[in-house]
Amino acid sequence: MPLLELRNLYKAFGGLQAISNVSLTVNEGEIVSIIGPNGAGKSTLFNLITGVYRPDRGDILFQGERINGLTPDQVTKKGIARTFQNLRLFTHLTVLENILIPQHHRLKSSWLAAVLRTPTYLKEEEEMRKTALEKLSFFGPRLMSFRLHQPVYVLSYANRRRTEMARAMATDAKLLLLDEPSAGMNPKETKEITQIIRRFRDEGGYTIVLVEHKMNLVGEISDRVVVLDYGEKIAEGDYKDVVNDPKVIEAYLGRREE
Amino acid sequence: MRNTLLTLATLGIAVLGLYLLTQAEGSSGLLSAITLIFIWGIAAISLNLINGQLGILSLGHHGFMLIGGYVTALLMLPERERAPFRTRLLSDWARDHLDLDKWLRALGLDYVANSVDLKFVIALFLAGIAAAIVGVIVGAPSLRLKGDYLAIVTFGFGEIIRLLPNAPEVAAFTNGPLGIKGIPGNAGGVWWTFFAFLFVLWFLSRLKFSSYGRAFEGIREDEIAAEAMGVNLAYHKVLAFTISAFFAGVAGGLYASYLQSVDTQTFNFFVTFFLLVAISLGGLGSITGAVLGTAIVVLVRIYGGFLEEAYPAYVGYTGAALLMLGAFAFSAYIRKARRLRPVIETKHYIFGALGLGLLLVAFLFRGEPWMTQTVQFFGMRKILLAVILILIMIYRREGIMGRAEFSWKLVFGPREDIPTEEQRKQDAWLSNPDLNPDLQKEDDDASA
Repeated sequence: MPLLELRNLYKAFGGLQAISNVSLTVNEGEIVSIIGPNGAGKSTLFNLITGVYRPDRGDILFQGERINGLTPDQVTKKGIARTFQNLRLFTHLTVLENILIPQHHRLKSSWLAAVLRTPTYLKEEEEMRKTALEKLSFFGPRLMSFRLHQPVYVLSYANRRRTEMARAMATDAKLLLLDEPSAGMNPKETKEITQIIRRFRDEGGYTIVLVEHKMNLVGEISDRVVVLDYGEKIAEGDYKDVVNDPKVIEAYLGRREE
Repeated sequence: MRNTLLTLATLGIAVLGLYLLTQAEGSSGLLSAITLIFIWGIAAISLNLINGQLGILSLGHHGFMLIGGYVTALLMLPERERAPFRTRLLSDWARDHLDLDKWLRALGLDYVANSVDLKFVIALFLAGIAAAIVGVIVGAPSLRLKGDYLAIVTFGFGEIIRLLPNAPEVAAFTNGPLGIKGIPGNAGGVWWTFFAFLFVLWFLSRLKFSSYGRAFEGIREDEIAAEAMGVNLAYHKVLAFTISAFFAGVAGGLYASYLQSVDTQTFNFFVTFFLLVAISLGGLGSITGAVLGTAIVVLVRIYGGFLEEAYPAYVGYTGAALLMLGAFAFSAYIRKARRLRPVIETKHYIFGALGLGLLLVAFLFRGEPWMTQTVQFFGMRKILLAVILILIMIYRREGIMGRAEFSWKLVFGPREDIPTEEQRKQDAWLSNPDLNPDLQKEDDDASA
């Protein structure tokens, strides 16, 4: 059974057909990249999967269960987490708090138990902190010591990206949707992110779907590449096959006038 | 351990100070100021839960306070005060049956009914519950809205609640515009407000530093991200709104007991307005700030009376001149201290000279009749508050405390967010290729 399956998805905004007839399967342990020119519908597809938008037609299945129509927080509870294209961190909260909030939905204690600090709540809180440190350790020691207690707005851009990825991991998701994880990073940081995404799969056991514009990153880590153009899937397959596909070249560069 | 001891010591000093104050003679003014700070402090902290921590502008807080006030009033009213209502609007049923005393005696809890203090606690709790129920009814539909729209809707609900006691059908319980008088006031003494205040402080700061408090702050920072991280927006918003309404009801009950009477004018929109001023002064999102802001507002309102007395005109002129000179000195200091273009411009000197001129005029003509006639400035307290608010918004927009809370760690350390020398070295080693040969190699790889 595939982990995520999209069946003939349609979504229109007024007269604009943003997604039309897109089908896609993602198997467990895969890294799938979605590429396409600007306005191709990549982010809309992410928003459909995470429940921000509701599809007009078609089905979204996660682990064989229909999830279209759920709200974003319900989708997250099912096990799909995302990062955002332009960072959406809780800017005035500390790094640690940023990584504790996504674990809140697993909390079993009621708010009254939390106020009274019952032993069960304290144990849960302790475990949340442990999980937070565990997720952060994926990114090396740089966020682990004093930066843990610093507000996010003092962090560098690369550290914010790392925090956002750690935040998505902390939701306890099986499937991570990464929206341009390397946007605004220099070659060295991009390389580090590439390694981290690979380690997500190999060590963390996550399945990953990413939208990305940097082709060398896509080529290096993707098991499969899906190309969208004007809301339609125009190609799917191995990176080498896809980039040599005439339809893909046409979508990116246009057709040569004969 | 050290922090617990410090907290206990502070509490002890506060209790001792309050005790000495209640024993001292001529301290009733100060005591009532302190009582008011505690009552409004409770209301401000509870408003801060929605406006500061959840980041939702709610303008209907006076409605919840009113509910608390009326419920407490009706439940606590002693038998002899109920008799006159026979000819008034209050229905016989409400007069005879909405009585905590009777309920308790019916349950066989005579020893509770004999103690005004215990009855008061129960009445306050029921007042909070009533306000919380209305909070859910108001909150559940309106919290779907965002920003300005929500502010207007909550304001509308607040006004509806405030005007309801006047409606004929409801007046059977509220005695209409006449209100309820004769609420036992001794139960609203400084000790009860003090302990209620401590309880609210304890409860809401515990809530703030729990997983639920973090979820509230996540919603404030970024609703979309919070929802994407699994925070159920509707549930948490209604939860915070309800808790806030509960404590607003408690504050309303305390205030009604302090005044010993309640009517629809007691809790008009200005109540919410002053609470908003208080939490904006102190810092939105900070409990410490809310208390600090409330203290400033209450103290200015109570002890600012001398500003509104009648003085000879030259006192007014001298005051204005001194203010102008002070403003000049302040702006000169700010200008000199800033990094970009630290110059004092001509217009500042002209303003300063005008102030000096006015001072001279006031001094030279102090004997003239137009200088010695008395003048009185009404509303100077409110102007002073407004000026303080303007200054805070210009020079420290996040309020006095910002989002920070007072804690012993903040004062005595250890500060976890400031790196130690060792951590700083380690961090430099992680990121500086000149120190770390491994990074040098990686750099070459990346550029190759």
